[in-house]
Amino acid sequence: MAQQFTLNELVSGVVNRLKSAGMGYYLMVLISGLLVLAATGAGLHAMIMGHENFYNVTREMPWGILIAAYVFFVVTSTGLCLVSSIGHVFGIQDFMPIAKRSVFLSIATILSGFFVIAFEIKLPWRMAIYNVISPNLTSNIWWMGTLYGIYLMFMFMEYVFLNMNKHNPAVVCGFSGSVAGILAHSNLGAVFGLLMGREFWHGPYMPIYFIASAMMTGCAVIIMFHILGYKVNNEKMGPDMERSLEVTTKVGILLICVILFFTTWKMISGIAGEPGGKYEAIMALINGKFAFSFWVFEILAAMVAPLILFMLSRGKNLKFMLLASISMIIGIFVMRFNLVMVGQSVPVYLELGVNEYKHLMDYVPSLYEMIITAGGFGMTALLFLLGEKIFDGHKVDADHH
Amino acid sequence: MDNKMDLDKHQNEGIENIPMQQRRDFLKMGLAITGIFAGGSMLSVASTFNRAHASDFAKKYPYKPHYSMVMRQDRCIDCERCMEACVKTNHVPNVHGAYRTTILEKETPDAIGGKREFIPVLCNQCNLPQCVRVCPTKATYKDKTNGIVMMKIQNCIGCLTCQEGCPYNARYFSEEKKAVDKCNFCIDTRLAHGEKLTACAFACPAEVRVFGDLSNQEDQVFKLVHQIEKQVWVLRPEAGTRPNVFYTKG
Amino acid sequence: MTLRTLVTFATAIIMTAGAALAATHGGDIVYEKPVKGVIFSHKTHVEDKGLSCDMCHNRLFEMGKVAQEKADFVMESLYQGKYCGACHNGSMAFASNTRCATCHIGVKGQKRLSGGDKHDKKGH
Repeated sequence: MAQQFTLNELVSGVVNRLKSAGMGYYLMVLISGLLVLAATGAGLHAMIMGHENFYNVTREMPWGILIAAYVFFVVTSTGLCLVSSIGHVFGIQDFMPIAKRSVFLSIATILSGFFVIAFEIKLPWRMAIYNVISPNLTSNIWWMGTLYGIYLMFMFMEYVFLNMNKHNPAVVCGFSGSVAGILAHSNLGAVFGLLMGREFWHGPYMPIYFIASAMMTGCAVIIMFHILGYKVNNEKMGPDMERSLEVTTKVGILLICVILFFTTWKMISGIAGEPGGKYEAIMALINGKFAFSFWVFEILAAMVAPLILFMLSRGKNLKFMLLASISMIIGIFVMRFNLVMVGQSVPVYLELGVNEYKHLMDYVPSLYEMIITAGGFGMTALLFLLGEKIFDGHKVDADHH
Repeated sequence: MDNKMDLDKHQNEGIENIPMQQRRDFLKMGLAITGIFAGGSMLSVASTFNRAHASDFAKKYPYKPHYSMVMRQDRCIDCERCMEACVKTNHVPNVHGAYRTTILEKETPDAIGGKREFIPVLCNQCNLPQCVRVCPTKATYKDKTNGIVMMKIQNCIGCLTCQEGCPYNARYFSEEKKAVDKCNFCIDTRLAHGEKLTACAFACPAEVRVFGDLSNQEDQVFKLVHQIEKQVWVLRPEAGTRPNVFYTKG
Repeated sequence: MTLRTLVTFATAIIMTAGAALAATHGGDIVYEKPVKGVIFSHKTHVEDKGLSCDMCHNRLFEMGKVAQEKADFVMESLYQGKYCGACHNGSMAFASNTRCATCHIGVKGQKRLSGGDKHDKKGH
């Protein structure tokens, strides 16, 4: 009887919090919900009628914006997990307050990633069966899928334990989730990096870059969603939370510098000696067909502008930090798009000099692909908004002391 | 086929007929191939061919029969009968980008007496296939007997990683077959029925595509691959997949 | 200024005359049988090489008749000195069993001449 009472109390608490929300909140829930619905409709339609009629992917460029979006979402999820684990797994006190919301969001973003890729994979229902009964242990994509499954399980358990205030099992799950996340995510990097016929991707760079890039993304997403979370709940941050975002900003600055450093050497290594296949791709970024998105989004919006704003904010000016993190997230999405597209746009027969494959190839997402991508963002937004009310702003005990 | 040329008559055409630029290209390609083939001993294999034992080759050609194709590239005239025959034999869907084999066109304005070259391409049935390594569900695999890279349709989840991994653009997703589709040397449609040639090799009026068993020293493909008179090369050797489709001239 | 106008004018006249000549020479023939995409260029043979009409007509190729309809219009006949093989024998002109892709422009070349899709195998 006591349990039922508690349950009732919980439900009425959630209902009251949902009722207390303003019109803006309901509007955002509606919009993100509609995006998810539209994406589900478009995705199922394409799946039933045949993807080739609705997606702009081709034989030569089989991976489109949905793969880029998937990479973006899992990068974000891994980043959220890793940055938040600094506090609640490795015991750095300053990072404690961001733990709950970050773990919740890492679940939300990975679910968004799975949502998007379910519509990119041509026969997803077979995956559930043959990933289990016919595993290929040399396949990075098999490891990535399997490890992300394990990762999701650990993150989910961690979130439950965090909410139950069971610290020790939460730490165990958080640590296991971080390990699974790093392995899964570096395997995703290896999906690209171990393809010997694709010069732009090939090498150990990709798995390493993916992890660093995940942490950079994690900082941006933690800052953005924490500031937004407090807006949604119409609350003011306590000093612990402010301190937490200040240190996250510092980590963000460090990681932007790391990725700028990585990017610089990636570009230089692709130019020096004009390595075949790679050189053409790098030049497409520097002054070719990807130049605008590279300089404006990848360099300026994702890194240089947020770096300046973060430094100006000193980790305290929330407006600057919000602006910087939004700019980063937009830029990083384009970064992921470029990463997937540039690597594919170099035809495998480019060096052969045949008429069919003399130039880099083009890909422009179709309407359906864009709707499904938007649906992925809608899903993250929807889960974030619902989570804020259902879990009462993801409050961590330390917040109250 | 009364317009077919007799191979023996044709082989002694002599090197003087080959333009200088092309000869340079041969030499370059020759340098390229030494790195990939038989641990860099392709030329020495060819020169010591008569002294070599069959067991030495078994390591290199581990399948029996070890199916292979040699393209006598300069004979290709892009009549595309091979492509038509392949589509018909293997039920390749009539949609854009769906093909198991195709012909690429290379303009050679600098070549003396040459204007263009046609380069037929198909799955190279590699000894180290990237597609097989990257497939999460073993939907594509190397046949243990004959080395053909096969598709197990019901295992394919359509992630298309194999298409990304293939350095030869030999794969496409077939909505009709609900799986990635690719050349399998007509193993199911012709060889299993006792035919000796693939549909493309059979249809070719210029005998560009020589199909056979590399593990058999009496086979024409073995003799072409191991000749010393003319250069033999493979496409994209740097991808390291040890392809079983070779290119030569003559 | 006057000189340039003159040169332009003269060039235009020469080009027009050239085009007219090519037209009277029958233009390009693309054979589709027995294999697709084999080109014969009157311009190359008459203007560039300076051959006269009676070198081929009507001894090798009957005027008004289409060679590809004949059963013996195959490479083997060329090797025996028929049709193109009368000159393309390795002494007068390059031998018929060499430089295949010079005359065989293929299905791709045929499509290009007829203004079809230039790179039909390309991604888009």
